[in-house]
Amino acid sequence: MKRDLQKVRNIGISAHIDSGKTTLTERILYYTQRIHAIHEVRGKDGVGATMDSMELEKERGITIQSAATYCSWKDHDINIIDTPGHVDFTIEVERALRVLDGAVLILCSVGGVQSQSITVNRQMTRYRVPRIAFINKCDRTGANPARVTRQLRDKLDLNAVMLQLPIGLESDLEGVVDLVAMKAVYFDGDQGDKVRIEEIPAGLQAEAEEKREELLDAVSMFSDELMEVMLEEQTPSEEMIHEAIRRGTLSLEFTPVLIGSAYKNKGVQKLLDAVNDYLPSPTEVENTALDLDNDEAEVLVTNNPDDPLIALAFKLEDGRYGQLTYVRTYQGVINKGDTIVNTRTGKKAKVGRLVRMHADQMEEIEHAGSGDIIALFGIDCASGDTFCAEGVNLSMSSMHVPAPVISLAIKPVDNKAQANMSKALNRFGKEDPTFKTFVDHETNETIISGMGELHLEVYIERMKREYNAEVEVGAPRVAYRETITRRAEFNYTHKKQTGGSGQFGRVAGYMEPLEEGEYEFVDSIVGGVIPREFISSCDKGFQKSMAKGTLTGSPITGVRVCINDGSYHAVDSSDVAFQLASVGAFREGYTKAGPVIMEPIMKVAVEGPSEFQGAVMGSINQRRGVIIGTFEEGNYTVVEAEVPLSEMFGYSTVLRSLTQGKAEFTMEFATYKQVPKGVADELIKAYEQEKKNK
Amino acid sequence: MGFEPLVQKNPLRILKLGKDSTSEMGLVMARAGLGKTALLVQIALDTILLGNRVIHVSVGASIDKTRAWYDDILRHILQEHSVTNPHELIDMIGRHRMIMTFKESAFDRARLEERMNDLIMQDIFKADCLVVDGIDFDSVDRATIEDVRDFAEAMSLQVWFSATCHRGDERVSAAGVPAPCHEIDDLFDTVILIKPEDDKIRLNVVKNKGEVQNGDVGLDLDPTTMMVKKS
Repeated sequence: MKRDLQKVRNIGISAHIDSGKTTLTERILYYTQRIHAIHEVRGKDGVGATMDSMELEKERGITIQSAATYCSWKDHDINIIDTPGHVDFTIEVERALRVLDGAVLILCSVGGVQSQSITVNRQMTRYRVPRIAFINKCDRTGANPARVTRQLRDKLDLNAVMLQLPIGLESDLEGVVDLVAMKAVYFDGDQGDKVRIEEIPAGLQAEAEEKREELLDAVSMFSDELMEVMLEEQTPSEEMIHEAIRRGTLSLEFTPVLIGSAYKNKGVQKLLDAVNDYLPSPTEVENTALDLDNDEAEVLVTNNPDDPLIALAFKLEDGRYGQLTYVRTYQGVINKGDTIVNTRTGKKAKVGRLVRMHADQMEEIEHAGSGDIIALFGIDCASGDTFCAEGVNLSMSSMHVPAPVISLAIKPVDNKAQANMSKALNRFGKEDPTFKTFVDHETNETIISGMGELHLEVYIERMKREYNAEVEVGAPRVAYRETITRRAEFNYTHKKQTGGSGQFGRVAGYMEPLEEGEYEFVDSIVGGVIPREFISSCDKGFQKSMAKGTLTGSPITGVRVCINDGSYHAVDSSDVAFQLASVGAFREGYTKAGPVIMEPIMKVAVEGPSEFQGAVMGSINQRRGVIIGTFEEGNYTVVEAEVPLSEMFGYSTVLRSLTQGKAEFTMEFATYKQVPKGVADELIKAYEQEKKNK
Repeated sequence: MGFEPLVQKNPLRILKLGKDSTSEMGLVMARAGLGKTALLVQIALDTILLGNRVIHVSVGASIDKTRAWYDDILRHILQEHSVTNPHELIDMIGRHRMIMTFKESAFDRARLEERMNDLIMQDIFKADCLVVDGIDFDSVDRATIEDVRDFAEAMSLQVWFSATCHRGDERVSAAGVPAPCHEIDDLFDTVILIKPEDDKIRLNVVKNKGEVQNGDVGLDLDPTTMMVKKS
């Protein structure tokens, strides 16, 4: 069965934590009749909202993992990904944005555009996701949707225009004025499911006309037809206005703003109409894949269900029914029983069960068309893998995956916990590319690393709850790196002739800083002074040396090694001999190459009342931070800075006491920078001490 | 610092900008979209390369947008000149520049002074130069600019403003400074007009260091890169 792709919407719901996106999703599912009762996020009924399927999410009242769900509204199929609101989980947000065609940006009508909204908006811009804004919580004291719309323009640089006016605000919120239809819309009944259309109240008529003019002025530039009608001073039709808004939204040059209160059941149905009317169908979004047979050349995917299958696995979950792989199809059709190929591993897999997900419930389906978001059972893969029909060797463009910046040592409390922990870590590593795990062979500790304190904290909690793995946790450690600052020569001979077969190898050349990339090996050996078969041994030896620097034992990055001379012995030279010679050569060159320690620098945004700006800047300054800039509007300030991660531990507590709990901050990894000398000396001293203690 | 060649080769040297410009006020004027911000950013970067610290105030623009101007101009500089350690230069500029952005309604002299004093008192940032971009001179009176001049003198600051002039407005001062700054041009020591001429964008220096000039100093803005170059 072929679906009308024009009537498919793949949308994400992203926003600042606590702006009510899970509540909104819950209402959407209710109005689209996917659920038959509404549960609140922190509701008294103890059920929790449908999209918050993970235990921990329900307890904390926040969404950690995005759960995909499907619903249908007025003849349109809508796939929704609920996305987490904390910046530590942005890989989830970024992954969701990669597979989505459009998004709803939710804002709190009191809190307005907060730092996380800025981060999410930046991510949406990076992936060119058309968006509509929904100003939620208009029933709250202090609600001011007009101010939030201005913030969308000023802080997010969006051409945001309200399509609605509130009828009453705060506890008097009754409904909205639709500025396109010029009608008042009320949401009656206990659950707001009876939509009543009336004339605009007399008291709002003048304001509505003025705001409609503003709206028409803003959208007329996206439609010549509308522009002409307006120049002739005629009344444009609703369809004409919808079409202009749609064009503006798809071009990312216009952001329609809708308002309401999901909690009070107001405005949600109009938001769903807007999703259908203004957000793109899969055919309206350009997606590209990389041709693995043609030097990764970009290929436009067709969205055509008759073409061979291309699908991206964007999320894995280990649920009660086994491993679940969330997949977005970009072209072709996926049928139960089909054989598909993982282009990363080349492994074939047979599609067993195919399901459409509804948070943690599911619906069995026989096939899924191009542009759909569905889930597969029993497919072994990693997040980000591409599945194609046999004979096609394409990969969806790689996702931007930031490197982990913080690590923790964890130790299982008993043998049972040990086994469960391994299971959990294996699963998390597959689910989340920013979560890494390894065993430090010197301390025999298991190290987990990720994007922030909260990121790791959540995984530790999940280990405990979902896998029954109780672990002891060490202090957080910053992921330092080492690099070199100048060119240095080496010439090292490895010689061992004490008993048994001897070892001999001489390696000479130089190392120099590499601007882009981690490591480069250049073979400039001529005349066979090092035989061909031992060149790769040298490369191996150098790579081994890169794993641990001499200053702090951190990995070394940004080094180009060039070998241009050497010698060998017909009997005593071997793979091992040249590897060891290269390790020695690296050590010799490294000390002369001006090694330095690099530390992760975070981009930090602190926002709060202007009266605390001085205190906030002082606190950043004390943390070796560089203030990039400040933004002020009324009594509200954002301070943006770059601060070393090592200085940010415990900052939330400090900020809370400095600002009476009125300011908050977000941070994301920005770059690695050289550690100042004083700090470097301390780190080196601590490493020496650590080595002595072992 | 090792960046002297960048300072020496800068075509802006013709204007004799330098350490002795303290307490001077400069003005860049042009119609919308001709490159006022680009020129201000180049003046700010030159000031930083001379070892000074700059506060860049953007009224009505975001931090990201303002920072992007610096990144773009710096990229052009690095493309044009070979710099041994570009990362050091980028870091140094980050440490010597602070961006302050204000919503139009939130900006006034008192608030700016309060912020700058805060930075000095906590030993966070002591500026030598203030660049103010985006002020609407149509709604600024003489007293406000006089006030800024006093403030600049008190803090030993060099200050640069940008102002937008309008196509239909023919008003002009005796020195040749167009509206809306024609009645306050005596408050500025240096005034640069950016004017399109055929396919070129000329920098006309109307006043330099308090002296009225004949205009043409042989400087243009490259219309593609917005970089200052010799005509």
